[in-house]
Amino acid sequence: MDKGRRIKVIISMIGLDDHIVGGVVVSKILRDAGMEVVYLGTYQTPEMIVQAAIQENVDVIGISSHGSNYSQIAELMDLLRKKDMKDILVICGGTIPKKQIPKLQEKGVAQVFAPQSTSESIVNYIVSNVKGADGGPNK
Amino acid sequence: MKRETDYGQPIKAVYTPKDIEGLDYDKDLGDPGKYPYTRGYYPNGYRSRLWTQRMTAGLGSSVETNRVLKEYRDIGQRGGMCVICDRSFAIPIDSDHPIGRKEAGVLGWPGSSLLEFEELMDGIPMTGQSVTLLSTCASGALQLAYIVAYAEKKGVNLSEIHGAGMSYPFANCFGQSDYQPLDLNVKLFLDTSEYAIRNKIKMRSAILSQHFQEAGGNNAQALAVEMAMLNELCGLLVKDRGLDFDDVAALPFELVSIGIRFFEEIAKMRALRRMWAKLAKEKFKAKKEKSCHLLIAVHTSGRTMTYQQPLNNIVRTAIETLAGAIAGCTAIDNATLDNAHAEPSPLAARMSLNTQHIVADETGVTDVADPLAGSYFVEYLTNKVEEEAYKIWNKIEELGGMIAAVKKGYIQEMVRGAMLERYKEVQSGDRLVIGVNKLAIPPEEDFEIPIKEVKAEDSEKIARRMEEWKKTRNMRLVVESLSQLYGDAKKEDRYNLMPSIIEAVKAYATAGEVMGVIRKARGLSYDPFNMIECPFSFE
Repeated sequence: MDKGRRIKVIISMIGLDDHIVGGVVVSKILRDAGMEVVYLGTYQTPEMIVQAAIQENVDVIGISSHGSNYSQIAELMDLLRKKDMKDILVICGGTIPKKQIPKLQEKGVAQVFAPQSTSESIVNYIVSNVKGADGGPNK
Repeated sequence: MKRETDYGQPIKAVYTPKDIEGLDYDKDLGDPGKYPYTRGYYPNGYRSRLWTQRMTAGLGSSVETNRVLKEYRDIGQRGGMCVICDRSFAIPIDSDHPIGRKEAGVLGWPGSSLLEFEELMDGIPMTGQSVTLLSTCASGALQLAYIVAYAEKKGVNLSEIHGAGMSYPFANCFGQSDYQPLDLNVKLFLDTSEYAIRNKIKMRSAILSQHFQEAGGNNAQALAVEMAMLNELCGLLVKDRGLDFDDVAALPFELVSIGIRFFEEIAKMRALRRMWAKLAKEKFKAKKEKSCHLLIAVHTSGRTMTYQQPLNNIVRTAIETLAGAIAGCTAIDNATLDNAHAEPSPLAARMSLNTQHIVADETGVTDVADPLAGSYFVEYLTNKVEEEAYKIWNKIEELGGMIAAVKKGYIQEMVRGAMLERYKEVQSGDRLVIGVNKLAIPPEEDFEIPIKEVKAEDSEKIARRMEEWKKTRNMRLVVESLSQLYGDAKKEDRYNLMPSIIEAVKAYATAGEVMGVIRKARGLSYDPFNMIECPFSFE
């Protein structure tokens, strides 16, 4: 990615999940930290999220999740792999039961944030793990 | 740490008579059972009627939800049952829809046809307890039709059924979405309400501040939004549908979210009773005293349940249940210790019902009506939250009322601001949450709780069943009834669609088909997600 470009992040709910609080709050946190946020909102299918990621050329996809529709997050990961978009850092947050976390990580989700995670922990994680961005490991 | 109410009013160390100067007992409080009902509707409080002790059920298939409902009855549910719908029926689309099938049975029961309702209610009495079906505005029309069709089929006298099944049209501003446009939702709210009222069906419509508050709204905002909704929706039923206010007043039920700010939560409910009574009497000129009683149920707040150290949530639920009980309410369904992780496990459900019984039977709270009346602090808080709520409500009215305020994005912006404020307060340590920003422990040391979940294959099973079952229906009846509905839905908005929705439901037309046909008649796409074509042609 271009040197010095701001980190660009998609924040989205997936499927029919309409609990928006986490997505709204995290979007604000990331914007305040200087990142560019594309907030997709509710009713996004895995295909729509991948399409938006291509169009917007983002570094990170953040999925806010409330409720057990984790298969759709797995579908999103499969689609990204198929399209060879492995460089995109995918993080999730929300009321995700602990035993789901290793399953999501196996699918390639980089990190799962619990409710009430600090803004510092989310921002720091993105900055130090995003591929090739400012302050990232590939620089 | 902030010493402020959740709506930002400073709290002093001591309250004295000076803080409630001018409080007139008869005018502002009244004895329990007397206008303005600040102290409750019954002269003898819970000695006249204990609150309905219930748990919200709904997860996986209808058969599974039916099993859980029976289990709740065995572990202490009393007076009524409460079911919440899944994400597909909330829209509503069918369980075999390309997106709907992935979320069939997620977070609720998959109620997309009368068949599902029959399975849900199998062996469960329709009378002698309240039947509460929580969903959205659009799916509420289907639920009312299920009640009517099922009662007829089972030979149950419709007038003996009571509960709630319909819903207000604004929930999709508060993260409880359906996918229908506001004008269609308002029409469906009016159609369902008018049908129930004119046919003397004692099914109420949910007009709730709970969704708004769980999304982040504070106590004063919640009261304001609730009153603005009640004012506008009841007004429409009187003006546009020509109904008598004394009939309309028996329609709404309010679910109040009781959070952890103990005294403020109690004050909020006392203020709400007074505000409604005044609206009913002064504006709507209620003739019956009963019309001044807003039915208020309590949901202890899911938002206050933490992911971290979930056993702490048992304590929070106990405090919130006690607040709801002291405030005076008709029913309580409380949050569960696993609320921030999943839907209630059997252990969590048992704990929550036990909590209600402990509060009811051990603490003495049911002995005395409105026990905190006269407390300088609680009376001050009751006045204050009411005063702040009137200010916000007035602003909503200045914008033209609730519908106009939603169209202008004012309410959505209010929720958004409140969400961010809540987060900021916890991050900064201005509000302490034990296990989160105080006495936190590493996740690996946390107590493991049992988790109940729906797997992708469970949803797929529900979807396949619907797919197969759809083929077994008498399609001539389905098409005939939907054709009638299509014609009716093309008429003016005041033409009530409930009779033709009921006929379609009796013919086993599904929720997706019924709503799709209504949408098509109104010039919208049959499928809100544009993934399936309308399988019928009526022109």
